[in-house]
Amino acid sequence: MAAMTPKERVKKFMKREPVDTMPIFSGMGMVTVQAINKMGIRFAEVHGSPDYLAKSATLSADIFGFDSVIVPYDMCTIPEAMGRGCSTYANAEGILYPTVPTKWENLDAADINPDWASKARMPVVEEALKKLVSEGKYGVGGWVLGPFTLGGQVIELDLLLKGIKKEADKVQAFMKKMTSVVIDVAKRYQSLGVDYMTIREMGSGTDLLSPRMWKQLIQPYLREIFEALESPKVLHICGGTDLIVEMMNDCGADALSFDQKNNLVETRKKIGNDVILLGNFDPYGTLCQKEASEVPAIIKGCIDAGVDAVWPGCDIWPDVKPENVEAWVNTVRELGKQPSPAVGRL
Amino acid sequence: MASEEKRAEILKNLSEGVVEYDEDRVKEYSNIALDEKMDAYDAIMNGLAAGMEIVGDLYDRQEYFVPEILMCADALYAGLDILKPHLKIDDASGVKGQVVIGTVQGDVHDIGKNLIKMMFDVGGFTVHDLGRDVPLEKFAEEQLKTDSEIVALSAMMTTTMMGMKKVIAMIKEKNPDVAIMLGGAPVTKDVANLFGADGYAESAGNAVQEAIKMIGQLRKLKEDGVPA
Repeated sequence: MAAMTPKERVKKFMKREPVDTMPIFSGMGMVTVQAINKMGIRFAEVHGSPDYLAKSATLSADIFGFDSVIVPYDMCTIPEAMGRGCSTYANAEGILYPTVPTKWENLDAADINPDWASKARMPVVEEALKKLVSEGKYGVGGWVLGPFTLGGQVIELDLLLKGIKKEADKVQAFMKKMTSVVIDVAKRYQSLGVDYMTIREMGSGTDLLSPRMWKQLIQPYLREIFEALESPKVLHICGGTDLIVEMMNDCGADALSFDQKNNLVETRKKIGNDVILLGNFDPYGTLCQKEASEVPAIIKGCIDAGVDAVWPGCDIWPDVKPENVEAWVNTVRELGKQPSPAVGRL
Repeated sequence: MASEEKRAEILKNLSEGVVEYDEDRVKEYSNIALDEKMDAYDAIMNGLAAGMEIVGDLYDRQEYFVPEILMCADALYAGLDILKPHLKIDDASGVKGQVVIGTVQGDVHDIGKNLIKMMFDVGGFTVHDLGRDVPLEKFAEEQLKTDSEIVALSAMMTTTMMGMKKVIAMIKEKNPDVAIMLGGAPVTKDVANLFGADGYAESAGNAVQEAIKMIGQLRKLKEDGVPA
């Protein structure tokens, strides 16, 4: 039987249909400096051009053998469209991701302009996604920050955290606004034909919030989002997640993604074998710091722990050691022929 | 001079006010401490800071999380703002150091940085807070300008952590004796070692734990009569 194409592999995998082998992909940034350098541009330039975004994603996949591509790379596209600005660090040395320079001063001040979805770089991202979808070679991923994490981009996080206790009604109203924005953007990306959508509620782990608070403040809005979106849809949370796994699994996502802090063995027991589990190597440590010879054991550890695909725990840091990425890809290709708990093999 | 009984009452209320993030109560008893001619350093270390140590225990036991810690910190500062101007010169007491603190360029998250700053404020340091998204060279410039003994750098994201390495190299090149502390979610002991730092805290919660531990050490040194 002929091998699947990368796009077929990702699409089937996300539907939990049998695949030829485990796909190598992520719901977070996978751009590499090897691609950026090959294009002859600087990292700061890539975020503002649909051509650069699409080309850098495709080149990264071409160079290393990824099965999917995903854009954008930074978290400022939506806040920027809401009028919060964007610092691109055009003259900084090395790689710096854009940040949001101005925030609303308080919860009352959060006033979202009605035409935000057509502002700033929103059309750039959509154009890049259209290009990637039309190329048809790789699976195409879209992602949007979850409402709490997006909120933390446009208002001081400590106001939000303290507001939970002091101004609960205002925080809930703010979260409703953010939820509406998340649904809007994710639906737009889905309408462009992305193959999977990841909601990254990165900042809501139990490093910051108690499980009780998570249930009260985060879960209702994630449920609303996943109810509004088509499948396949993934929920990713960074940091401490062991105490909220079951609640995450009760939000309506088809797949759950965790970073390296999660105990995947326990998580698999909690969620059973009917949910796609993704994770969870430390992207910076594994791909930038370790020796390539150390990488296969890390990847094998994820597979042995029960993942269906080996995802990095966050965006990969673009300045990867090529031999480490190759070790990740080769190990998955070798070990991924066996079925995983939630996805069979042809 | 406050009686022992009154002193105990004041300290208890300052501590409980911090733990229960009751800013009004902390302000009230900070003013009572001054009215009673109580030593401001005693009120800070054995009232406010002692309360923060309990907060650390509650965090360890996962009864408190970051929202609660932030509110406790607000209560602590409410008292510190009242008491600190009344510290005696020789009392700023255990420590008279200076620290430069900030989050590195590319990172606009500063909760962890602010919690560590609180520790230095309580400990009597002069804090030069550069804020967030700070250009890397600014840390070295400020250290040289102020001759600070400590530089504390924070980065919440892997994607900004690399800037710390450059800052450390810049500072150590000019002044190898400066102690450098790193903080932030992506920072591990290995990263701190690799970058040449002298200490680290890995998250906002961990930062407060580290901060509270250091406050506890300061209190103990003071109680034991050992110069800090």
